[in-house]
Amino acid sequence: MPKRRDIVAIILIVLPWTLLITVWHQSAITPLLSTRKGKSGLRGDIVEVVRTEYVYSRPPPWSDVLPSIHVITPTYSRPVQKAELTRLANTLLHVPNLHWILVEDSQRTTTSVVRLLQETGLNYTHLNVETPRNYKVRGDTRDPRIPRGTIQRNLALRWLRETFSINSSQSGIVYFADDDNTYSLELFDEMRSTKKVSVWPVAFVGGLRYESPKVNKLGKVYGWKTVFDPRRPFAIDMAGFAVNLRLILSKPQAYFKLRGVKGGYQESSLLKELVTLSDLEPKAANCTKVLVWHTRTEKPVLVNEGKKGFTDSNVEI
Amino acid sequence: MATRMKLKLKTVFVLYFMVSLMGLIYALMQLGQRCDCTEHNMPKDRTISRLRGELHRFQEQLRKSEATKQPQKQPAKPTIFVITPTYARLVQKAELTRLSQTFLNVPQLHWIVVEDSPHKTPLVTDLLVKSGLTHTHLHMPTAKDRKLQEGDPSWLKPRGVEQRNEGLRWLREDRRAQPGGDNQQGVVYFADDDNTYSLQIFEEMRSTERVSVWPVGLVGGMKYERPVVEGGKVVRFHTGWRPSRPFPMDMAGFAVSLKLILANQEACFDGDAPMGFLESSLLQGLVTMDELEPKADNCSKVLVWHTRTEKPKMKREEALQAQGLGSDRAVE
Repeated sequence: MPKRRDIVAIILIVLPWTLLITVWHQSAITPLLSTRKGKSGLRGDIVEVVRTEYVYSRPPPWSDVLPSIHVITPTYSRPVQKAELTRLANTLLHVPNLHWILVEDSQRTTTSVVRLLQETGLNYTHLNVETPRNYKVRGDTRDPRIPRGTIQRNLALRWLRETFSINSSQSGIVYFADDDNTYSLELFDEMRSTKKVSVWPVAFVGGLRYESPKVNKLGKVYGWKTVFDPRRPFAIDMAGFAVNLRLILSKPQAYFKLRGVKGGYQESSLLKELVTLSDLEPKAANCTKVLVWHTRTEKPVLVNEGKKGFTDSNVEI
Repeated sequence: MATRMKLKLKTVFVLYFMVSLMGLIYALMQLGQRCDCTEHNMPKDRTISRLRGELHRFQEQLRKSEATKQPQKQPAKPTIFVITPTYARLVQKAELTRLSQTFLNVPQLHWIVVEDSPHKTPLVTDLLVKSGLTHTHLHMPTAKDRKLQEGDPSWLKPRGVEQRNEGLRWLREDRRAQPGGDNQQGVVYFADDDNTYSLQIFEEMRSTERVSVWPVGLVGGMKYERPVVEGGKVVRFHTGWRPSRPFPMDMAGFAVSLKLILANQEACFDGDAPMGFLESSLLQGLVTMDELEPKADNCSKVLVWHTRTEKPKMKREEALQAQGLGSDRAVE
């Protein structure tokens, strides 16, 4: 009987001490931050959002902390070119730490594009390289076997590799943005945290409402939700991924393959040199939101121009 | 033995009680003070604190620059009221998104979006709220016999008439309650959701006294259509299609001053007007050709383009839906 009491006594002594020690261990608790939501004023039908003039100082001031986004846009001369570049610039003006690399498919940089870039006030690099005639699309037919813009994108990659050294601490993200797509501002926020290659859904590609990567419960990409050749190594559109600059610099041999690339395999030709499927980082809420649309602009019907050109050719459109 | 045990237990309990009481007091003292968390400092926290520091810096800069601006307070710029009719289709969200991104660069702009729908859709509602723009969200369905059917060419029936008129109606009603009566400063512009607008066009139209005009690119089957200006006045119109119209120009090629809209309460678009006469049906009642104000460097520069977006090909989607495997409709 005494022995039992001894044991009870010992337990009663030791137990509270263990509890005390565990509580002590967790005593380093950071104070909880309270969040406040700002409300926009409502006046009848009008919704006014309180905003400072800051929004109109375009582009936003450069931050030393945010990684830069290098947007590579190949472009070529056609009637809608200036319109496309104008509205793309209007979008990019809202993105902080943005560097626009515009590569023209031309022998020389054209004055109209030069002027446009200067007027926007964006941080840009203007390059040009002409696609050799035998690679160019014949007439108006869209031949999927000759991917457009490949040589231009490769030139931009080469420029990045020549300009930035892998040892510099500058963090950056590389994104290929065609001049006729539509990009939400949220997309640029999502891609900023790319460590290697990040992916997300793209609307209006592959004959579907949207194509997207398949993401499992662990947040890893394991396949592609597409109808058009889902067995491609990377069944994704050019607008559906972004690459960390460091990865680009560390693999100097990785470029888009020019010759012998099957339709839809252009993106894979670059990505397979850079990363494996398991390394992909899904964004846009585990690839459930659409933040970029593969819009295409109609070719304007210029029937009334006639042979000689009705309108003054000196007026730039 | 038993008494010794009892004594031992009692003292132990008393001892424990005293120690834990002291511990509790000590812990309560600790709660009020900051913890020394240097060992918890992770890279993410460091980034966050650096970003906060930058934000503080920018806010200070902003406050300083606004403080210096105060003494030279300029009169408020006239507001540009942009009326955009829109309707649900695949590319609607994309079109409205990039349009909102253009407008976000323009100060003093009020976007009036009128949906061709019997009720407001959540897609447009959410987009407008997230855009950060000052906006008004309206809706007005088009009468069935006026609506374009699947497969109709786009020029068959005039589009957006009821919606633009609804925008005008709301504007007149809203402005009636404002101070200044009919003398309010402002400009009304009809912007379709698939066109492309440069930022300069908005600054050009801000000084509109009655009706101002400028060239429009990629319209009327030509590279651009424009008013021809001689001696600072519009004398005729350069267009390839039906130049005999009273005002042969596109919806995107003119802006009307708010004063004129308020002074002519009945002026609106006539849906029964023949093809291409929609713009004239409004402008005829408001202004004559020699009263037009030419902008964009005497109508020599193209600052707005009548772009059109292709209808995305959905063959595979339709095939999938036939099999019941269509992509998730809940995703916008």
